[in-house]
Amino acid sequence: MKAGKFPLLYPTGSFAGLLFVLGAMWYAASSQNSPAVYLLLFGLTAVFLVSIPHTLLNLADVTIAPESAKPAFAGQEVSLPIEIMNCSRATRRGIQLVVPGRGGKRKHIDYIPAGKAARVTLRFPAKQRGEHRISTFRLTSVYPLGFVRVLKKFASSQTYLVYPKPSGDPRLPMHRARSPHSRPQTELGEGDDFAGVRAYVPGESQRHIDWKAVARGQPLMTKQFAAEAEGSVHLDFSALRFHGAEERLSQLALWVIEAERVRRPYSLRLPNTEIAPAVGEAHFHRCLRALSLFPGEEEGA
Amino acid sequence: MSDSRNRTRTQQWRDTTIPRRPLLWLAAALLFTLPALGALASWVPFLFLFALVLKFWMEPRGYRLRSTSLKLILTALTLGAIFLSYDSLKGIEPAVSLLAVLVSLKILEAHTAREFQVMVMMAWVLCLCGFLLSQDLAIAFCLFVAFALLIAALVQFHRPATAGSPDAFWLPLAMTLKLLAQAAPVVVLLFLLFPRINTGFQFRIGDLHAARTGFSDRLFPGGIATLANSSDIAFRAEFPDNRMGPAGPKYWRGLVMWHCEGLEWRAPYAPASISDSFRQYPASDTAIRQRITIAPHGARWMFALDRPFGTPSGAMLARGNYLYSVQPIRKPRRYEVLSSTDPIGEELRPHERREALQLPASISPAVRELAASLAAHDPEPRATVASALQFFRTQGFRYSLSPGEYNKNDLEEFLFRRRTGFCEHYAASFATLMRLAGIPARVVVGYLGGEYNDLGGFYLVREADTHAWCEVWIPENGWTRIDPTSVVAPGRASLDLSSFLASRVASGEMATGRSAFLTRLARLALVNQIRFVWEALNYQWDTRVMGFDADVQDVLLTSLGLTNGGPLPLVMQVLIVIAALLIIYAGWMQLRTRPRADRVQALYERFCRKLARIGVQRDPWEGPSDFAKRAAQSFPNASEYVRQITETYIALRYAPGAAAISLDKFAKTINAFTAHK
Repeated sequence: MKAGKFPLLYPTGSFAGLLFVLGAMWYAASSQNSPAVYLLLFGLTAVFLVSIPHTLLNLADVTIAPESAKPAFAGQEVSLPIEIMNCSRATRRGIQLVVPGRGGKRKHIDYIPAGKAARVTLRFPAKQRGEHRISTFRLTSVYPLGFVRVLKKFASSQTYLVYPKPSGDPRLPMHRARSPHSRPQTELGEGDDFAGVRAYVPGESQRHIDWKAVARGQPLMTKQFAAEAEGSVHLDFSALRFHGAEERLSQLALWVIEAERVRRPYSLRLPNTEIAPAVGEAHFHRCLRALSLFPGEEEGA
Repeated sequence: MSDSRNRTRTQQWRDTTIPRRPLLWLAAALLFTLPALGALASWVPFLFLFALVLKFWMEPRGYRLRSTSLKLILTALTLGAIFLSYDSLKGIEPAVSLLAVLVSLKILEAHTAREFQVMVMMAWVLCLCGFLLSQDLAIAFCLFVAFALLIAALVQFHRPATAGSPDAFWLPLAMTLKLLAQAAPVVVLLFLLFPRINTGFQFRIGDLHAARTGFSDRLFPGGIATLANSSDIAFRAEFPDNRMGPAGPKYWRGLVMWHCEGLEWRAPYAPASISDSFRQYPASDTAIRQRITIAPHGARWMFALDRPFGTPSGAMLARGNYLYSVQPIRKPRRYEVLSSTDPIGEELRPHERREALQLPASISPAVRELAASLAAHDPEPRATVASALQFFRTQGFRYSLSPGEYNKNDLEEFLFRRRTGFCEHYAASFATLMRLAGIPARVVVGYLGGEYNDLGGFYLVREADTHAWCEVWIPENGWTRIDPTSVVAPGRASLDLSSFLASRVASGEMATGRSAFLTRLARLALVNQIRFVWEALNYQWDTRVMGFDADVQDVLLTSLGLTNGGPLPLVMQVLIVIAALLIIYAGWMQLRTRPRADRVQALYERFCRKLARIGVQRDPWEGPSDFAKRAAQSFPNASEYVRQITETYIALRYAPGAAAISLDKFAKTINAFTAHK
């Protein structure tokens, strides 16, 4: 990832302490005309001065590569794995990773050997639904003495999704729009009748894998239950009784989760999008993504 | 319920966040500041040590000092203890004690990262205080070790390695040594050239250095004998013109006493200086040049061989031909002085003669009779001196470190009954006898001998070498040195006291307080060699480092021609040199650690940068040919070049027989490549 042209260097809080100590030493040395104290003063000054290039170069040839973050529900935590690569020929030590404005803590990386990379996972609270963009990553280091801090900014276009916070009534809505081909609706939650197996699609929940068949040496198969064929749930934004868009989205998110849990096909209808009934992980994320990106008054944070 | 509350309580109590390793380094550093605290009231170092040990007991258990009232009580208690120990809170020693105590309390209290840094800062100030208390090499060495360990503590604190990795322990030390090595030229530069601007606002170091060492301006029986076991250094002397100095016993003149009270003599409180017109200068070829580094003794006399005649700056030549400093000597001082061993043609003016014949009224008739009998045979002063020496030689006088108690009126007791004494008894009684016999006499106190350090080429004179002798006025010769002790203890004059005593002990003439083991140990060649090296180092430290104060620096700067423009241009020059040095360090480190990209890759990256500048950025996952296709679409007019360069790159990088294509030609193509939209 591309870094800013020059790393920034600025004093830390403990630099003030150092100045105080140096001032005290200077005062004592000059008022006593004491060569020993001068030696101490100059020793500390010199060590501080030579520590500056060490700190400055501690981030040279260190770059970062953020990986894609898994979507999280609002109110949960976003975890963003990041790889920090040390391309230099020296071990880099005492590095901290910060994402400004995300309320997360600094992430410490003790050391990265020459030519190696370290993987850290940044965690920060997911506050609002929607697609968020991280515009900068910052690597800082105060190693070795902590009197100055070097800061390297990395411009980024990394995004992550936050799904609406699921809340509301967990019971799935009754059928409204009945499709002509479907059979009459049976009661809710009765999808337990075994109806056969089909080939497993990667990404599907592992709950319905026919493990006994796997144990017999057969390929992965997913068990299908009768309810799945019994007709789908139609989740319609405009059919909800709530006033606020956010409340509706939360309710829809909860229903999507519930429907996916009981493996009942569900379709989603938003004012601007329509997703056909289906079930499975890909469908699940597609629906939640649509809910998350729904343009609302609070969007864009 | 109570169980869960207990648990949260424990968790609360275990919120110490200072990792163990940096704390260990800090503790090691603090241990090294302890020797410097030895000068404080004895409970202070103990409290300090106790706090350190306690911290390591508390840390794993999650305890720490938290109650504010307890902190206040402890601070008040220790403040009171300091006041009780010193009767005051002013002065350097109470101040350092206070700091040490506060550091101790801080150790017990500290638990956050910030507090750790505060502790390191406090420890640095403690190092500073250590230097104010003592500037001895051994202590300075300990303090510099502490200084380095504090750097290591900071390095460790910034977590250079996870615990358990093999280099985790040595890494802070290695880093510290690297920093120190790089800092060394900067330190030398700053130390030699950075102007020592005198701030004008001075604080006086309290009574500490006023503590007087060595002899006093009163010579009383038993006074010098108490110094005989002291191994403190009085001064060190070099002979720049002649390494070993003049042959013969070395009598280092300290001060001259004129006022006689029997066995007790006194020097004038404020000696008059010899005005220039009365000063006699001997021929310059007999002058002996000495360079003397005097240890602080709190008084004002300075030392020189035999008869000094030039005066170093800040000193005068007092009546009696001895050097007298304008200021009390409170820190090591180095000076050069010229001396003469030959008599210098002096004159005895009438009031001096009166002073040199002054006598107390309390002298007993027996002593007066003795003096009269000494002068009876021959009124010639030389003959009187000779018969007095004869008296000491033949009447069973003994030389002893512990001659028993005398007071100032015990002259008769000493001369007729006990006849046992140390040099002060002999010098005092001899000079008194001379005055009784009508010969002007005075007592000189100084040092005799000294130990020659072959390695450093200097004489080390200790307090134990303190000696007293007499000078009598012989008209044709002037003031003449007579050492009655040399008559009683013939070997003493040619040796320093410890060697003399050692030889006496060895020959069974004298018992000593020292155990035979220690004496034997001291005479071991290896031990002696180590001692000589240490003393030579000490001498270098005192003269080269401790002696390099603002005045000496001024001389250096003037001789280098750097004082022309005042301090500011010099400061700028020094800073510029340091900045250049730092840039060199940075460049060198950068060169050493930069990734080694091969030339083909570097050239291709340059090509990609050129394309990026005009709007086509290569994505990290994009292969060269995919990227070339995309770039060619964006710039149709440059598509041929892009394709060609990419093909060459792929051939150079991945084809088996790539040597057929010239790298330079590839470079030229890339350099020539300019794309337009």
